[in-house]
Amino acid sequence: MSSDTALRAEAVGKRFGRRGGWALRDCSFRLPTGRVCAVVGPNGAGKSTLLALAAGLTAPTEGSVTVLGRTPAAARPRVGFVAQDKPLYPQLTIAETLRMGADLNPGHWDDGHAARVVAGGDLDPRARVRSLSGGQRTRVALALALGKRPELLLLDEPMADLDPLARHELMGTLMAQAAQYGTTIVMSSHVVAELEDSCDHLLLVGDGRIRLAGEIDELLAAHRRVTGAADSAGLGAHTVVESRVTGRQLSALIRPAGPLPGDWRASAPSLEELVLGHLRNPGAPGLHEGSAA
Amino acid sequence: MVDYRIDRHSGVATYVQIVQQTKQALRLGLLEPGDRLPTAREVVEATAINPNTVLKAYRELEREGLVEARRGLGTFVRRSLGTAPADSPLRTELEEWADRARAAGLERDDVAALFTAVLDKHFQGDPS
Amino acid sequence: MTAALTGPAAVRRDAGKPRLTRWVLRLHRPALYAWAGLVIAVAALLLALRGPLADAAAEGWRQYDACADTVGCAYDQDAILRYKDYYSYATAALNLLPLLVAGWAGAALVGRELESGTARLAWTQGTSPARWLAVRLAVPAIAVTAGATPLFLLHDLAWKAGRGRVDTAKEWYDRFTFFASGPTTVALALAALAAGTLAGLVLRRTLPALLAGLAVTALLRGAAEAALPHLWPAVTRVSTMDQGFVGSGLVVDQGMISRTGAHVPVPPCDSTAACEAAYAGLTGHWNTYHPYSHHWPLQLTAGALYLAVAGLLALGSFLALRRITGPARTARKDAA
Repeated sequence: MSSDTALRAEAVGKRFGRRGGWALRDCSFRLPTGRVCAVVGPNGAGKSTLLALAAGLTAPTEGSVTVLGRTPAAARPRVGFVAQDKPLYPQLTIAETLRMGADLNPGHWDDGHAARVVAGGDLDPRARVRSLSGGQRTRVALALALGKRPELLLLDEPMADLDPLARHELMGTLMAQAAQYGTTIVMSSHVVAELEDSCDHLLLVGDGRIRLAGEIDELLAAHRRVTGAADSAGLGAHTVVESRVTGRQLSALIRPAGPLPGDWRASAPSLEELVLGHLRNPGAPGLHEGSAA
Repeated sequence: MVDYRIDRHSGVATYVQIVQQTKQALRLGLLEPGDRLPTAREVVEATAINPNTVLKAYRELEREGLVEARRGLGTFVRRSLGTAPADSPLRTELEEWADRARAAGLERDDVAALFTAVLDKHFQGDPS
Repeated sequence: MTAALTGPAAVRRDAGKPRLTRWVLRLHRPALYAWAGLVIAVAALLLALRGPLADAAAEGWRQYDACADTVGCAYDQDAILRYKDYYSYATAALNLLPLLVAGWAGAALVGRELESGTARLAWTQGTSPARWLAVRLAVPAIAVTAGATPLFLLHDLAWKAGRGRVDTAKEWYDRFTFFASGPTTVALALAALAAGTLAGLVLRRTLPALLAGLAVTALLRGAAEAALPHLWPAVTRVSTMDQGFVGSGLVVDQGMISRTGAHVPVPPCDSTAACEAAYAGLTGHWNTYHPYSHHWPLQLTAGALYLAVAGLLALGSFLALRRITGPARTARKDAA
C-alpha cells in the first residue's frame, strides 16, 4: 500500500447485529493524503458508521478498511477522531483534559498546539468541561484530537450545534491545520453548503452506499446540467443522473459520454445540485473518480 | 498586507476572487514589489477556505509573473500592476471629477453607471 | 499539495507507555474517597466490636448468667443489645460490599462511559481498547482487595471476640457471618467487579448495567450459599437413639439408621404415639456436617471458585469489547 493513501475501503459492509440491516454495503473508495474530504449524505445514510470504521471503533462485517497503510487499530496513534456529540469527561477541567491527552498519547503529543487551539477560543483552562457551551466543548474536543498531531483527522458532524461565528472559527482552525501540517481531514455533514469552500474531495453516502467519490473539481467537471427541447434527440448516449420534462422542455443532470447536441444549453452544476441530484435518484449510477488508482 | 474577503454567493470561483483581490491590491499600491503575500495558513485560518484553493490562486499569480514563491520563505510580489498608485495624479483628477459629479447632483449609482460605461468603451476586450 | 507548505513538524516525541492508571484514579476520585471512607468506618466499627463492645456484652451476659432468679436481675442489657446491633451492621456492610462494587462497576466504571461516548474518546487516543479495559479492571481490583482484605480479617477477629463469651453471638456458619469473615468476601467482590464490567460492555447503558451487575452478583451469592455444604468433604457422626444428633456445625444432611444399618430420613410423625411407632424399627441417628475446623477449607474453596468465575467474567468482558471494536492490530494484514 502506497503511503500517499490516507484511507482506503475495499468492498466494506457493516451490519449491526446478526439480523440487523446493513448500515453500509459494498463501499470502495480511496482518499489520497493531504485532502480535505467532505462525507455528505442524509441523516442515517451511514456517515457515522464510515467514520467509526476508519477510527477503529468498530470492525467491518465484510471487506477491509486501511488507514495510512495499516489496519485502523494499528493506525490509532496517528489518527484523531471527534465524535458527533463531542464526548468529554465532564468532571475534568480543560487543562486536565489536555493533560490526559498528553498521558494517553506518549511520544506524539504537542502540548503547545493543543493549548493554542484552546486559547483560540478564549477559554479558561481551569473551567470544568461540564460548564462549557456546545461550541466550547467542540473546541476542547478538537484540541484533544489535534494535540496528538494526527496525520488523519476524522470529524463526525463537527459543525452541528455551532453558531455561524463558531463554525467559521472552527473551520479556519481546521484549514490552518491542513495548510501547515498537510493533515488529511475527513468531515461529515448533512449540509453541503457549509463544506463547499473548505473541502476538495467528496464522499457522497446514500442508503449505505458510496454514490460519488473523488475530487470535487473532477466530479463537477464530469457532470453537466443541460436543457433542451423534449422532442430532440434523446439522452441515451449519456449517463443520466436525473431528468425532468416541463412542458416542451427537458432538463437533466448528466455525465456526458461525448459531445452534446448544439441546440442544448449546458452549464456546470453546483456541488449542491450534484449532491441533490444523486440523492434524489438512488438508482442513478454512482461515480468513483480515481478509485482504481 | 492584503486581507482576502471571500464572497460565497458571487458566483465567481474562490481562487479567482483571490487572484482578483491580489491584483486590486497591486493596482492600488497596497502591495508593492518585495512584499510578502499572506501564507496559505494565514489566509485559510481567516477565511476557512481550502488551502489548495489559495495555492491554486498563488500559482496563477506566479504564472502571470506577478509573484514568486521562495521556498521556505513565502510568496513575494515581483512587480506591481497598473500606473495608478493610491496617491497618483490620476487619482487626484478622479477625486476632483467625483466631487464635481456630486456637486452636479448625481447619485452614487449614476456615477457608477457613468464610470462603468466609460470603462467599457475604453477597455473593451481587456481582461478584468 | 498542502504538504508543500509544511515546515518540519516540531512534535514532542517522549517515548513511553500511556499512563492510564492515574486517569482511572482521577476520573473515579470521588468513588475512591468514598471507598476509603467506608473501609475506615467499618474497620473502626469492627475494632470496637472486637474490643470494648464484645467485652461489655460478655460482662452483661456474665451478670445475667449469675442471676439466681430472673426477677430483679440487674445486668447490662444495653451492652448486650449494642453488641448485637453493631455486629449486624458491620456484617451487613460486608455482605452488601459485592453488590456495591457490582453496581459501581456496571454503572460508573463502564456503562456510563459507553453511554456517554467517553469510551470512544479513550479508544481513539494512543492506547488500545483492550489496554483501557485491562486498567479499568486492574485498578479497582487492587483497591477492592486492599480494602476488603483487612475488613474480613477484622470481622473474623470481632467474631472470635464474642465466641463463647456472648451467648447471642452468631455461629461461624451463619450465612451472613460466613460471607463476611473470609477470603470469600474479597473473591465475591472481585467477581462482582467483573460482572458489572461485563454488564456495562454488553448493555452499554448506565442503569441497565447497574441492575444487571447487581442481579448477577446476587445470583453468584445465592449459588454459593446453596453449594457451600458440598464444597468440602463433610464429617458424618453416628449416635444411638438416646444420644440424639451429635456434632454441631454446618449441617449437610441428617437422618436415622435402620436395623439393617441403612441411613434413612427422619420419618414424619406428629404425636408421641405416632413417633414411637415410626421410630420402632430404628437404631440410631446420623449427622453429616461441617465442624468449625472446616471454616477455612470452605472459605478457600468458595473463594477459589469465585476467583475462577471472576476470571471468566473478565475474559467475557474482553470478548464483549472485541465484539464492539473488532480484533486488535494483528488481523486483516492482507489488506495492506
